[in-house]
Amino acid sequence: VYYSPIAALLALLVVTASIGAPRALAQIELSWSPSMVKGPPGAPVTIVEFSDYQ
Amino acid sequence: VLEEYAGRVRLVFKDRPLAMHTLARAAHEAARCAGAQGKYWPYHDRLFAVQPAFRRADLVGYARELGLDRDEFARCLDERRFAADVERDIAQAQALGINSTPTFLINGRLVIGASSIEEFRSIIDKALQERR
Repeated sequence: VYYSPIAALLALLVVTASIGAPRALAQIELSWSPSMVKGPPGAPVTIVEFSDYQ
Repeated sequence: VLEEYAGRVRLVFKDRPLAMHTLARAAHEAARCAGAQGKYWPYHDRLFAVQPAFRRADLVGYARELGLDRDEFARCLDERRFAADVERDIAQAQALGINSTPTFLINGRLVIGASSIEEFRSIIDKALQERR
């Protein structure tokens, strides 16, 4: 059985995070696979967790 | 926390295997292979429970235990079908300067490290207020 990987990247989110020196802002677009999201799409708060299994 | 704020908070998991954790990369790819069969979160929870038992035979074994198609899963893992996706997550983390795990972004606000539940509540409550 072959099946295509889940068409990636549904949501795009512009994230503003303060990095390093004050006022240094990085703006990047984050994308994710729908299978790696828990909770309703319309939720007012999105928590993005960057983590390591090991 | 997700249950407490049911419907108001969603969680997105991003892969950030650290370079020193040599077995982690395969585990992150394996979780996505489980996701391709609709079992991302059960597999994810299993990995956290058993870390760091991440040899190939371990990873395939968890898939079988969770009722996944074993052969399809093994093919996915061996072909490294999701290597590029994991790589993309790592690149996005690096672009944000995220070098330790876990790191969270709560509506774009950076929270580094495993914080207390109270701290999460306070940041989430603030984010909810800002949205009103």
